[in-house]
Amino acid sequence: MVQTAIEPQDFTGLRARRQALDAYWKQSVSGYALVRKHSAFIDHHLADSFEKSVPPGDGFALVALGGYGRQELYPFSDIDLMLLYDPAQKDELSPLVDAILYPLWDAGLEVGHGVRTLEECMVDASEDFFFRVAMLDARLIAGSSALFSRLTEMYKTAYIEGKRQEFLDDMLEQRAKRETQYSRHTYLLEPHIKESCGGFRDIQSMVWTAQVVFGLKDLNSLHEAGLLSQEELKKFEEAQDYLVRIRNRLHYLSGRKNDQLFFEHQEEMAKAFGFKNENNMLAVERFMREVYGHMQTVSVTTGLFFEHVLEVSGSEESSKAGKVLEPGIEIRHGRIHLSGSESIRSQSKLFMRLFYQAAKTGCPLHFRTRKTITANLDLVDDKLRNSRRTAKLFQAILVSAEPFRVLEEMLDTGFLPSYIPEFSRVASLAQHDVYHVFTVDRHLLQTIAELQKLREEESTIFAVVDMVHILFLAGLLHDVGKGFGHGHADRGADLARQIGERIGLETDELDTLDFLVRNHLFLSDTALRRDLEDEEFILRCAGLVNTTEKLATLYLLTIADARATGPTVWNEWKGALLLELYLKLALLLDRNDLSGHEQARGAELGAQWIREKVFELLPDAKEKDFDLFSDDYLLSFPPEVIVQHIAHAKKLEKQDVLFSHEQSQDSWSILVMTKDRPGLLAGIFGILALHNLKVLAAKIFTWADGTAVDTIEVSSAISETYDGQDWETMENELNLVIKQRFGLQHRLSQKLAPVRSKPQGVQQRLAAKVTIDNQASELYSVIEVFSKDRIGILYDITKTLSDFGISVYRARIGSKADQVVDVFYVLDYDGKKIESPAFKNELQQGLLYAVTNE
Amino acid sequence: MKKIEAIIKPFKLDDVKEALNAIGIKGMTVLEVKGYGRQKGHKEIYRGAEYIVDFIPKTKLEIIVEASLVDEIVETIRNAANTGKIGDGKIFVLPVEEVVRVRTGEKGKEAI
Repeated sequence: MVQTAIEPQDFTGLRARRQALDAYWKQSVSGYALVRKHSAFIDHHLADSFEKSVPPGDGFALVALGGYGRQELYPFSDIDLMLLYDPAQKDELSPLVDAILYPLWDAGLEVGHGVRTLEECMVDASEDFFFRVAMLDARLIAGSSALFSRLTEMYKTAYIEGKRQEFLDDMLEQRAKRETQYSRHTYLLEPHIKESCGGFRDIQSMVWTAQVVFGLKDLNSLHEAGLLSQEELKKFEEAQDYLVRIRNRLHYLSGRKNDQLFFEHQEEMAKAFGFKNENNMLAVERFMREVYGHMQTVSVTTGLFFEHVLEVSGSEESSKAGKVLEPGIEIRHGRIHLSGSESIRSQSKLFMRLFYQAAKTGCPLHFRTRKTITANLDLVDDKLRNSRRTAKLFQAILVSAEPFRVLEEMLDTGFLPSYIPEFSRVASLAQHDVYHVFTVDRHLLQTIAELQKLREEESTIFAVVDMVHILFLAGLLHDVGKGFGHGHADRGADLARQIGERIGLETDELDTLDFLVRNHLFLSDTALRRDLEDEEFILRCAGLVNTTEKLATLYLLTIADARATGPTVWNEWKGALLLELYLKLALLLDRNDLSGHEQARGAELGAQWIREKVFELLPDAKEKDFDLFSDDYLLSFPPEVIVQHIAHAKKLEKQDVLFSHEQSQDSWSILVMTKDRPGLLAGIFGILALHNLKVLAAKIFTWADGTAVDTIEVSSAISETYDGQDWETMENELNLVIKQRFGLQHRLSQKLAPVRSKPQGVQQRLAAKVTIDNQASELYSVIEVFSKDRIGILYDITKTLSDFGISVYRARIGSKADQVVDVFYVLDYDGKKIESPAFKNELQQGLLYAVTNE
Repeated sequence: MKKIEAIIKPFKLDDVKEALNAIGIKGMTVLEVKGYGRQKGHKEIYRGAEYIVDFIPKTKLEIIVEASLVDEIVETIRNAANTGKIGDGKIFVLPVEEVVRVRTGEKGKEAI
């Protein structure tokens, strides 16, 4: 390839400059070389303009600051310039400034410029932190070197000599600020190459600090001073060069000074960096994985560096002896230390023991110990990975008070992926969508952090969990199957089982781990996508989860996973749906009546059968008519009887009430059909009592069109064989009751006066009991009344219910010897369950009064 | 022009979306909302802890269409969102005065 010779002046034209950069890019000029080249061209141009216009004498110096001072000029970086002048030559200043700056502006370059005397420089530096830092990279482009060296001397005396601690404090403060600002989720998805954790600012602040505190000029001198190992230096330089290349290309692609790797750029960048879609991974995900990996290197290396600086500059004596925690491990100044760096080479068990001590004491590992761990990871072999002792320690870490902090250290040192090789597949793995804020490995750690929080927040549910260590292990491994396309849960479950076997879990622990990982999306998928009122479906879910313990474990994992994914995945709305599902399943599993629901399933099929039968018997019926009848109703009668009801219903168009009775052995079966209205049931029971009829059983139904169909089994209270029953009067009176022209209350009290005058013992009051259950049925409150049987009792109960405005939808009247157990499925006046504790209590008292007072 | 607002059960969103797609409606706004009507909230007590579900999670769709399409869309949503149980939701139809597409400045029918 023929390299085009590019003259400096070509770079004054914006277009030409970009073309030239692109040409270099295609020639694979590496990151740093490119920004240096760019910087050199600008230098050349500026020196040229300066020499042409500078007046004679020694009064002017053109100085590059900041990034330009470091000779790092990206396509759209600001060109930070300062013209330093001797106040004696102030009059000659203006034409020189014009000659330098105008061509730059004309070329459309972003120029940050300042024109200052030495004194002004010192004043500005004292006021502005960023200018103070920019001065660290000051570099003379053209003009008086004497003036420039006076500046550097003055700066050094004022801001470096004796000011090292202040400088360090400033640096750390800025670093902490960046950490809070740029760890927000938007920057995690779309990292800011300059300001995010592991970005250029981290690199620069390390280099500046090395310069100010130790007088070390560059990375190589850091290595020579023993602050960076050969290995660390190599990795760090690689990372730095990669970031430079990204920033270069990013400016070029955005066509402006942009340092944030936005979504729209990520795909294009991936292509520019030569990534392709492979093995179920998108090119952009492969690219972002590299980016995150390098930023992680920068973040860890600079973090270790600052810990070192803090220790060196700290007032505490580092020579003070530490406390030995166990052979080879001691604690000093709240940091866990390896006693001798050699010992780990002969005792690889120390790896996990160090982390175990960190978990136990709540203290972090000392940075030098962390470095030792990273440098000796080659010792983590199959023997250690299969060691039962090490595995026990690992499990103890998982259930410690702060597993997140310790696991993060394990990940940052590289120990975690060495100990669990399956984990290295997901290291720095990015998912190119707006949901997954973290890379997979960070997401897994974040899940641990969320579980840690849930331990407090949902302590009641946490108390149900029987295998806490398995829950945390599942949290750490649930996404370990990612990065190979669909089915990550199943793949992850297989991998988790493999890991579990290696660390010696028991069969039931393995099964639970497998279950949790395999189904970690089950609850959230179900809560969002399925009808939670579909009893059969809920039942099947309960069958899958099987035990309350497993359900609680899976529920907590689900919440932690969702919260750790990102703010679009978890919100209160989804939380409410998930909670609803959880409670439905929990109550079902707690009642342990899965079999009862199997019957319900059978019942549903039965109702279908009856529906078909009735359909056969009624040739002119339309399918739609059957919507009138609930399954419950259909199951309560033979098809022939239902056909009769339908026939009777036709007559109701002409009359208010339909009343019929049928003799069957020792009892009568009474059918009352009419339009449902409040107090109807009390009226019927009242009339029955008035006519000396005892209720044996009752089926109360209301069709969807409001037709009440009540079938009541009665027998004579007088004698079993009594046959003088006056049905006609009874029917007339029932008609009057329904038309509300019958004083049932006074008639009953007159009639029953002689019966009720008998003295009553205390015992009866004690025997009576009323319960109101809102859980037995999905739709109704279930009221059960236990009391001694007597004539008119049902009237009293149903009258009381009616007075409270309560509608009875179903009733089961059971009499055993002289006791009645009456069950009513009811809703209140507003068609709701009876929830209010006050109302519940009032109703209970009312009913107790009704059944005990005569 | 009319605005159709439909409050539906969250799990019915996919069904409704599909049904609307089938009749040619491609654009809508979906919101996660909470509220209650006749299907009121409830309190659950589980293992001694009280869980109050006072507002029930629902999904709200908003669609702006020409008035002539309203009946078909309402019917489509109703059919797709129906489970026959309480809490299936509601559909509101409101008049819309003007629609402007931000990018081009188009107004009215063209901007829908």
